[in-house]
Amino acid sequence: MSTATQTVALPASVIERRDGRVGQLSQFYGLYAREVIKTFRNPFVIVITLVQPFMWLAFFGGIFSTLPTGTLDSFLLHAPPGTGYLAFLLPGTLATGMMAIGMFGAMSTIQDKRFGFMKRILITPTSKATVYLSKALGSMTRGLVQIPVMIAAATAFGVTLHGDPLTWCAWILGLVFLGLGFSALFLAITASSTDWQTPGVVSNFLSMPLMFASGAMFPTSIYPTWMKVIADVNPVGYSAELSRSVLTYGTFTATDLTYLGYLALFATLMILIGTALASRYLKVE
Amino acid sequence: MTGNGWAIEAHGLTKRYDKLLAVDHVDLAVPAGSIFGLLGPNGAGKTTIIKVLTGLSDITEGTAKVAGFDVHQDPMHVKQRVGWVAAEVILDDDLSGWENLWLQARLQGLTDWKSRAEQLLAYFELTDRRRDKVGAYSTGMRKKMEIALALLHQPEVIFMDEPTIGLDANVRRMLWDLITGVNKQFGVTVLLTSHYIEEADALCDHVAIIDHGRFVATGTPAELKARVKEDFIELETSEPLTAERLQQVAGVSSVRSQGSTWILRVASAEEVLPRLFHALKTDGIRRINVEKPSLETVFIDITGKKIDQAGSDVQDYRKFYLNVRRARR
Repeated sequence: MSTATQTVALPASVIERRDGRVGQLSQFYGLYAREVIKTFRNPFVIVITLVQPFMWLAFFGGIFSTLPTGTLDSFLLHAPPGTGYLAFLLPGTLATGMMAIGMFGAMSTIQDKRFGFMKRILITPTSKATVYLSKALGSMTRGLVQIPVMIAAATAFGVTLHGDPLTWCAWILGLVFLGLGFSALFLAITASSTDWQTPGVVSNFLSMPLMFASGAMFPTSIYPTWMKVIADVNPVGYSAELSRSVLTYGTFTATDLTYLGYLALFATLMILIGTALASRYLKVE
Repeated sequence: MTGNGWAIEAHGLTKRYDKLLAVDHVDLAVPAGSIFGLLGPNGAGKTTIIKVLTGLSDITEGTAKVAGFDVHQDPMHVKQRVGWVAAEVILDDDLSGWENLWLQARLQGLTDWKSRAEQLLAYFELTDRRRDKVGAYSTGMRKKMEIALALLHQPEVIFMDEPTIGLDANVRRMLWDLITGVNKQFGVTVLLTSHYIEEADALCDHVAIIDHGRFVATGTPAELKARVKEDFIELETSEPLTAERLQQVAGVSSVRSQGSTWILRVASAEEVLPRLFHALKTDGIRRINVEKPSLETVFIDITGKKIDQAGSDVQDYRKFYLNVRRARR
């Protein structure tokens, strides 16, 4: 190992900074870009992110797809007549996928705490709120990766997709809100934790009721009353319904606009509450 | 830099974690442009002092100023003016050296950082590897990169937490040269923690010896060593001994026990050792160690313990996790 012996003249002037909001945006962009770069540089994460929703379609959807279309149409009241269960399941799978990605953001945060990188960040003039928001957005971005692959997989399975670029934008915006909301929720719940197991436990606890009491997998018309109550406030269901309107039926009604508004409200509330919690409770290590 | 010539000032600095008093009413004054060492065993409170001085952890009691700004009232201005080098080399291994610098520039909100980053890479001889992921760097290169990150925003103070822990002798020597070089060439104040006596002796202009969260002695290494003019003999026998027997050996001025080990303070180890061997010839001497006047003997003189044994009663989870991570690698 050689010793640094070079003499390098360094600029004597005081280095210039972005202060205030501009500085916070700079920090946010740096941390968000780090999340995205790390995601796309990790082939394992990419493969799992891409394969998981595909497996939902293949295994879960595959079983129901073997049933006669007429049986499905009569059983699944909201399934578009003649299109089969996969067309019904696709929007739901995308919605539940966006719900699950919150766990990855929480795991990434805990990894930063355990490996000391959170200290490296917070020893700079970066606020805990900025760290939190960058993690939430990074996590949501990771979730968006599954959209093109799901669309491709569904098409390969013979599902016909409807809608136009404008309604697709509304549908994707709904998924963005859903992903942001759940990322914010997971990160807030795990803000004070440094335990690797916490995100998994939280995910298991939340995923089951939110997935099944949502209308993502089955129409809510067949739910018992108590599950309908959960479904009425469950943003996963609103995202699934919005996706179904656009992709399966090719429509975007005033009701869908309220669904989109509900998802925006969910994301905003989660981010506001989560930012407040993270600013106070986000642990350094 | 602060107007009064101190890069760091703390009065009655105290940090408590529930019932554990990690830092106990410490007064600290670090001259600007100096290398200041916090010397003490594991769990003594060295890392906690760095955490409170950098705003990573809240102060329980007392006041502290770093680079002229109050740590409690104005932590963001402090953070703009400090750099940090961790014990366990904390970089993002998925990013290249240049990307790590880019991220650091973003976090510090720097606008024009590229020329300085290039110069730092040249200084640390990392220019050729700037595009490589830092996960592929050698240990020495990773340490250099970490110091480059710490210097990027022209800090006034750099905190180095056990900068050479776990490194082999060659890399440690290289880092010593780097630390003194950084201090001299960049004019930056360095506060480093260490439990290596020779490191504090070789690098530091001023040293504070810390034990159980308290400063037990402060001064230049020369001043501290001048406090203790006698030698110390560390002794372990297979047969039980009494303090009275050891004190009867001519030249032994005081005796302390530390577990199964006896620590003898003697005027001259060369003169006392033959007498000691003679007096204990039937007691089965298992181990004997001589300490000439050094910062180690200062620590023994003040605390009655050797520095590498003093922290053994304190659980150091950070070191534990560090060792686990190293073992996994």
